[in-house]
Amino acid sequence: MDNIERSGILLAGISHAYSGRKALDNVSLALPLGQSMALLGPNGAGKSTLLNILCGLVKPDKGNAYLAGVDISRHSDIARRQMGVVFQDDSLDDRLSAWENLEFHGLVYGMDRKSRARRIDEVLELVELTEWAENPVRSFSGGMKRRLEIARALMHEPKILILDEPTVGLDAQTRAKIWSYLNQQRRDHALTVFVTTHYIEEAESCDLICVIDKGIIQATDSPSALKSRFGKGIVRCLPRDAETRRRLLAKWPAAQQLADDRLGITIESKAMLDDLLIEFGAALKEIQIDEPSLETVFLAITGKEMREREEINPKGRAKRNKRI
Amino acid sequence: MTKLSILRRGIYAIWLREIMRSFRDRGQLIGGVSRPIIWLLILGIGLNPYFRGEAYGEVRFVIPFTYLQFLFPAVIVLNIMYTSILFAVSMIWDREFGFLREVLVSPLPRWAVLFGKILGGSSVATMHGFLVLILARFADVTLSWNQVGVALCLMFLLAFGLTSFGVILAARVRSFEGFGVFSNTIILPLYFCSSSVFPLDPSLTRTQMAATYPEWLVVLVQINPITYAVDALRGALIGYNQFDPWLGPGIIACGAVLFFTIALVDFKRQ
Repeated sequence: MDNIERSGILLAGISHAYSGRKALDNVSLALPLGQSMALLGPNGAGKSTLLNILCGLVKPDKGNAYLAGVDISRHSDIARRQMGVVFQDDSLDDRLSAWENLEFHGLVYGMDRKSRARRIDEVLELVELTEWAENPVRSFSGGMKRRLEIARALMHEPKILILDEPTVGLDAQTRAKIWSYLNQQRRDHALTVFVTTHYIEEAESCDLICVIDKGIIQATDSPSALKSRFGKGIVRCLPRDAETRRRLLAKWPAAQQLADDRLGITIESKAMLDDLLIEFGAALKEIQIDEPSLETVFLAITGKEMREREEINPKGRAKRNKRI
Repeated sequence: MTKLSILRRGIYAIWLREIMRSFRDRGQLIGGVSRPIIWLLILGIGLNPYFRGEAYGEVRFVIPFTYLQFLFPAVIVLNIMYTSILFAVSMIWDREFGFLREVLVSPLPRWAVLFGKILGGSSVATMHGFLVLILARFADVTLSWNQVGVALCLMFLLAFGLTSFGVILAARVRSFEGFGVFSNTIILPLYFCSSSVFPLDPSLTRTQMAATYPEWLVVLVQINPITYAVDALRGALIGYNQFDPWLGPGIIACGAVLFFTIALVDFKRQ
């Protein structure tokens, strides 16, 4: 397999089960060096398992995973040096200062004193935290912590950066800032980026998108290719009563049940939309037409909405609250 | 970059973090200082006049030490026990607040991560034991540098074993709440049943001993490994052993190896 060499991340036939329940089923995936990929999937789709396998925290039951051409389970120390990880929840020591956290990271990654000092300065400057170097992390805001974590993950100059929902719970301005750092690194250092996200615009800016559901990779392609393949508009409608609902489902059996009793019907053609409006127009409480977008692609592939998950399971935020 | 220097840096970093955290954690530091003061200066001085090997109004045996001298090595063990076993809190903290994952995805092998942490925890515990050693003058214990050296080695080995024991506990506890119970259900019973605050006189025969202390208490003390740790330190600091002088150091060393091995197996499985 000569493509192992050229790939940033390569998964070959990965299967994994937790106490009999299959989390990943024969997952194969390739991300070329220097490119970026967003992993999308509803909760319980196997995203975390996949990430844990990539980070070497979980050993898959079957299959091989390679990071920059290195087998993760066989040469884990070499593979790990090539990779930087940003976790969904904070993993900084908040009793230490920003500088101390970075120094610790450098030591643990075996960097010598000179390169530690140089890289600490560089990454702190990258994420604009130079002035805060001596402050304890416990005094940082959520956005600052995130920036510091990204600085830390980049400190040992990894070839591959793995980010698990790096911007969840942050405001739009901080999110944009974080992506500007990441994009700068991608440009300047040909960094390979693998990210899971809930935000459609973040996925949109990646080279590749991988949609996973029920432990199986459902589609991997560029955002534009995915849109032209699955991208059909969707009508979201809220029937006035059960009878209308039944009739709608009879006419379009493929309609998807969405949150808040809404139905999602794929717009196959213009005529179909006309049909719907003429026949049911008066019997609908609400109607909304979604243009083809990654959101509708996601809905078409998984039958679930991207946004819905965030409301149902604000994992990151709930955990963060507990900590306070 | 050789593999060894990478390992050394990693273990050093993890060790250093524990040391720094211990200095920043005021509560732990205050505990480390106040415990010996309460036990040694208040309990020790208070009970000092009543310590004469007397039973039922009759002097049965003579211990050639004052109660303060007798108690002194035990308080060192107590201070080490608290810090070591409560080190589990630091383990749980790392696990719950995500810091552990930062080290687990690093190139450092797991055994080195655990070794660094336990080394850090035992250094802090040894330091807390040393705080008691400073009070030697108040307990009428005169020490040569040689004795201090031997005692520090024993204290470190003991701390290493007990810290590993704390880590084993941490792996079995889900939350901080569950851990608060430990100091009361493990540390103090172990301490009281270790011949720390009263001697078992080996010069008496078993029947005579049973006449002084009930059988169950004698058995409890004899099966408690901390008894032998206290005995080892008594041997080193005041030259008084209730058991074979090699038994204590031997049990401390075996404990350190055994508990670290179990902790490592646990940690690799996590």
